[in-house]
Amino acid sequence: MLYAVVSGFGAALVAPLIHQSVRRWSGWLLVLLPLALFGYFASHMEQISDGEKIAFAYTWVPSLDVELAFMLDGLSLLFVLLVSGIGALIVLYGSAYLADHPQLGRFYAYLLMFMASMLGVALADNLITLFIFWELTSISSYLLIAFKHDYESSREAAKKALIVTGAGGLALLAGLILVGIEADTWTISELASRKDVIQEGGLYLPALLLILVGCFAKSAQFPFHFWLPYAMEAPTPVSAYLHSATMVKAGVYLLARLHPSLGGTDEWHAIVTGVGGLTMLIAGFIAWQHTDLKKILAYTTISALGILVFLLGIGTGLAVKGAMIFLLVHSLYKGALFMVAGSIDHETGTRDIAQLGDLAKSMPFTAVGAGLAALSMAGLPPLLGFIGKEIIYEATQEAHDLLPLVLTAAALLANIFNVAAAAMVTLKPFTGQAAHTPKHPHEAPLAMWIGPVVLGGFTLAFGVASNLLLKDFFAQTVAAVYGKPYEVKLGLWHGLNTTLVLSVVTLVAGGLLYAYLRQILPIVKPLNVGEKLGPDRLYDIGFEGILDFASLTERFFQNGHLRYYLMTIIFTLSSLLILTMTTQIDFDSIQLNVDDVLLHEYLLAGLMIAAAITITMTSSRLMAVAALGVVGYSVALLYVFYGAPDLAMTQFSIETLSVVVLVLVLYRLPKFKDFSTPRSRARDGIIAVMFGGLVTTLILIITSEPLQSRLSPYFAENSYVLAKGHNVVNVILVDFRGFDTMGEITVLGVAAIGIFALLKLRPSSRKEE
Amino acid sequence: MFPAPPTFEDLNVWAALPVIILSLWASVLLVADRFINNKFYVAAYSLLGVGISLVIALFQAGDLFDIGESGTAFEGMFMADQFTYVVNIVALISAAIGILISYEYLERTKLDRGEYYILLMFSAAGAMLMGSSNNLSMIFISLELLSIPLYILSGIRRPQEESEESAMKYFLLGAFSSSFLVYGIALVFGAAGSLDLGEIVVVAQTISEQEATQRYLLLIGAGLITVGLGFKVAAVPFHMWTPDVYQGAPTPVTAYMSSVAKVGGFAAFLRVLVTGLPIIAEGGDAAVWVDTLQILAALTLLLGNLVAIMQYDLKRLLAYSSIAHAGYILIALAAGGVPGVGDSAAQAALVYLAAYAFTNIGAFAVVAAIEKDDSTGTTMDDIKGLAVKRPWLAGAMSVFMFSLTGIPLTAGFIGKFWVFRAAMDAGLEPLAVLGVLTSAISAFYYVRVVWNMYFETGDAVVPERQQYLTSGLVITAAGTLILGLLPFILENLVRDASLAILR
Repeated sequence: MLYAVVSGFGAALVAPLIHQSVRRWSGWLLVLLPLALFGYFASHMEQISDGEKIAFAYTWVPSLDVELAFMLDGLSLLFVLLVSGIGALIVLYGSAYLADHPQLGRFYAYLLMFMASMLGVALADNLITLFIFWELTSISSYLLIAFKHDYESSREAAKKALIVTGAGGLALLAGLILVGIEADTWTISELASRKDVIQEGGLYLPALLLILVGCFAKSAQFPFHFWLPYAMEAPTPVSAYLHSATMVKAGVYLLARLHPSLGGTDEWHAIVTGVGGLTMLIAGFIAWQHTDLKKILAYTTISALGILVFLLGIGTGLAVKGAMIFLLVHSLYKGALFMVAGSIDHETGTRDIAQLGDLAKSMPFTAVGAGLAALSMAGLPPLLGFIGKEIIYEATQEAHDLLPLVLTAAALLANIFNVAAAAMVTLKPFTGQAAHTPKHPHEAPLAMWIGPVVLGGFTLAFGVASNLLLKDFFAQTVAAVYGKPYEVKLGLWHGLNTTLVLSVVTLVAGGLLYAYLRQILPIVKPLNVGEKLGPDRLYDIGFEGILDFASLTERFFQNGHLRYYLMTIIFTLSSLLILTMTTQIDFDSIQLNVDDVLLHEYLLAGLMIAAAITITMTSSRLMAVAALGVVGYSVALLYVFYGAPDLAMTQFSIETLSVVVLVLVLYRLPKFKDFSTPRSRARDGIIAVMFGGLVTTLILIITSEPLQSRLSPYFAENSYVLAKGHNVVNVILVDFRGFDTMGEITVLGVAAIGIFALLKLRPSSRKEE
Repeated sequence: MFPAPPTFEDLNVWAALPVIILSLWASVLLVADRFINNKFYVAAYSLLGVGISLVIALFQAGDLFDIGESGTAFEGMFMADQFTYVVNIVALISAAIGILISYEYLERTKLDRGEYYILLMFSAAGAMLMGSSNNLSMIFISLELLSIPLYILSGIRRPQEESEESAMKYFLLGAFSSSFLVYGIALVFGAAGSLDLGEIVVVAQTISEQEATQRYLLLIGAGLITVGLGFKVAAVPFHMWTPDVYQGAPTPVTAYMSSVAKVGGFAAFLRVLVTGLPIIAEGGDAAVWVDTLQILAALTLLLGNLVAIMQYDLKRLLAYSSIAHAGYILIALAAGGVPGVGDSAAQAALVYLAAYAFTNIGAFAVVAAIEKDDSTGTTMDDIKGLAVKRPWLAGAMSVFMFSLTGIPLTAGFIGKFWVFRAAMDAGLEPLAVLGVLTSAISAFYYVRVVWNMYFETGDAVVPERQQYLTSGLVITAAGTLILGLLPFILENLVRDASLAILR
């Protein structure tokens, strides 16, 4: 089964080459792969219908429990059949639709890559594997949406889709990891048996929320739905594939897949049903207000996804059954209708239904496909769409724990919108008066009408012979989602009951909405506040906000001036330390022994302070260097007072050297200028005092601890015994620390040579420039 | 009277063989360079030295031959354990690739000086020593050994002003932050009475149990060390040198520096904090510094990723991206302060560093490949249409960009996965979530690079194909993909790396 998944990626690599070599027939050649995959998966149908599960696992990262694990059961089989089957039709369709496009080879590559990723998502049985394929679908769909990359709008749309679904994907990863940790397994098929552990654990709610964000972003649920209408910028074959059966259904798939382990709680019911319901109503309401074929289809897609999420949120056996049937029928009819929209656009040059009419005569085959699909969408018997809608109504009426009346009303409203939209996308273009279109309409090539006809035909066949064709298989599909075995019965006639009444009401109301569209539109216009205040706007504001913040931050922090960099470091450190000190340190324990300080020490300290102040106040560099020297020598004197002549010697020599070097360097520099304003001086002063005070406090803390010296007594005792020297300091310098002294001498020597070399080199090297 | 001088065996000298060979090789070459006129040979000899050292390091890590015993060497100053070996390998690979990608660049920009390669080797030795330091004074010395050659390398394009300015800024700020480190080390010594990490940890344990001034010293000392090392690894708010220096320095130097300085800095960070100071606790479980590092990590992630969005120059973009990546490793470091997570956090950091080394050097190498002789041509506009002109170069860059984003099947994903897992283990979920969110933001600017190469048309002139640089690119791209596809390689390598002494 690994080959089944990987073959798509392999084919994606060679597709452009194949296309280059065979050109016209590349579509017919490449379609063999999805067809073969379809056949391969379909051959497992019988096994799966008997309730078997087929699992494969390949070790990948053993210590992280990441396996390339795949599992085929009722749910994944339904998905892979849709993905490979519709994929085959789209390859054909695309080969004709983009026949003149110079980058058709690239299109095949992206499409096959996407198909393979989608198969991976549906088959994955490991949380991490699933996530990886999930992200691959985001990336490959990004490439597909941006296929017409010459257009700014196309790129913007692709970016929007990628950012929304990509961000959702990351939330999903976090959620999946939480689930994995809580359940202590990364294998998806094992999660259901640990349902209790997961749902009673403290991480359940965050995990659920994160996963839902991921699924909702992918499946275009409110409030993440706004990317999908933009994605209609993609070439129509892409929309037909991504937005009917595959990409956007990945979120629904994952919800269904995780329903046995995460579903059934109050949180699940409230959030999933609520979001799904809201989405199906909002999107359904917007759908019939558009006149662009693809926009109408986009919003009805969102609405349909909403219905699926809504049903999974209810989560009863009946609701799950409804969801699965509706998922199948929606994939079929929406795929067909997108292709029809593309054909109309391709053959007439417009997608605006106001400019279209009476195409049934000139495009008969397309019209047949469109008609079947639209009837299914509207839910008329004997098509599968009718069965799907009936089950939905049954499910909402039966959901006793969850306000059945409200749910039914919501479903009814969404379906009414759906009927109106179905009428708009087929009745308007194909019947009525012929309209003047940019191109003279004629039938699309075989590769383009075969898809709608096949898919439309399937909705008819499944509708008529539902029990025969789908019963056993769907029993397994529903069981996989429901978590328990569930008997599936399908049929067109359920007797004269409330459900049938609801179906009739739906049709009549939908028909009326379509008929009086022109009168209704002005009335609902003011209700469309979403475009100004909706999540789309929020996204834009947030996006710009991030950009503004970024440039502001850079201007503030990264101004190129070294002094500000230093200031930030010092300020941060001081603040951190002051915070630590005030919370951690008991200041009473610090004692000041002022009595021991002698007069000359006071004088020395005063001298140092005066010199330091001079450095900051002076306007002459030489003066500043000299004052710095004074500070240094005073420190050296302090060493002398406290009995460290060796240190003092070093300090004296280093101080002398640095003053000399500094003077030499300063000699070459331009004249001193005062750049700072009084305000910046005040700010610098505050920071300086802060840091100085901090260091002083630090020293006070250190000195308040009695010093335990082990070294001084050791040297005093051993200098004669071990080194035969009476002068302890001398012995330390040349014996105990002989290596140190040698190192110091060497360093000073090297530094002197370096300075000499610099002084010698400088004038000549500057001349070379 | 005196104890007999220790023998080589007592000192366990052979355990430090890779770094010894590298340093000696560099020293000899420094003199020999004076007599080699064709600098190609200096580069080749440097590569040979790095290669020999790398082979020995690999033997040590793979436990194939007994080269020195694992454990302390040089009377406790040097620690030779799996952590050391992995750091050695990463630093040496960085150095080898650094040399490969430098040669032609230096030649065509008239910078072919022999000392370049030698300085590069010295700084690699510094990074290796930082990973093997078992003593705070060693950490300071090896930090300087790492840094000073880098200061010079960033200014090697003298007298070009940007290069000089970057070297000057790097040097001044670096010296400044080193002084923090020394101050911190002094305070820790004052509190613990020892510079040996193994002894500090024992004393720190007793100190943390009593209310004493020593505890403050230890706390403040740890804080100052954090500042000093935080500067080296470019953690916000000590990051400001990074964009200026990365942009000003010659591109191969930036490539090398971005990897090796982080390897060394984080290796030392892990040694000091996880081994030496894991338990300055406030009676609770986790080390006190966990909170501070969490804040640093969060700031670094946010600032690095957000500001990178605005960048137009690729070098500057990658500079901010490298700041952001420091944030991810800081997550691991913060996790290392939680008892029981120390080792897995250290391993996560190593994995991340290895993945990052390949990816980031590769990304900078691509920039070096397209840069013009006058050090222009590194903006977003200059890569437009690169996929048409140089498809393999664009392909490699895409691999690096995806890896930096952390997209599965690349090394970057493996690194992020380990880090986030360590954070989860340590109970730092908010930080892990922030890491994930900022990764999402980062996708924006990385993908933009890919986008410009593939989907925009441009007519920027790109220098001719460069043989050695290409081989460097092949190695980095292959490494990025292989580590991503076969993560068990890294996993086996770091599995035995253990830092925490107390558990």
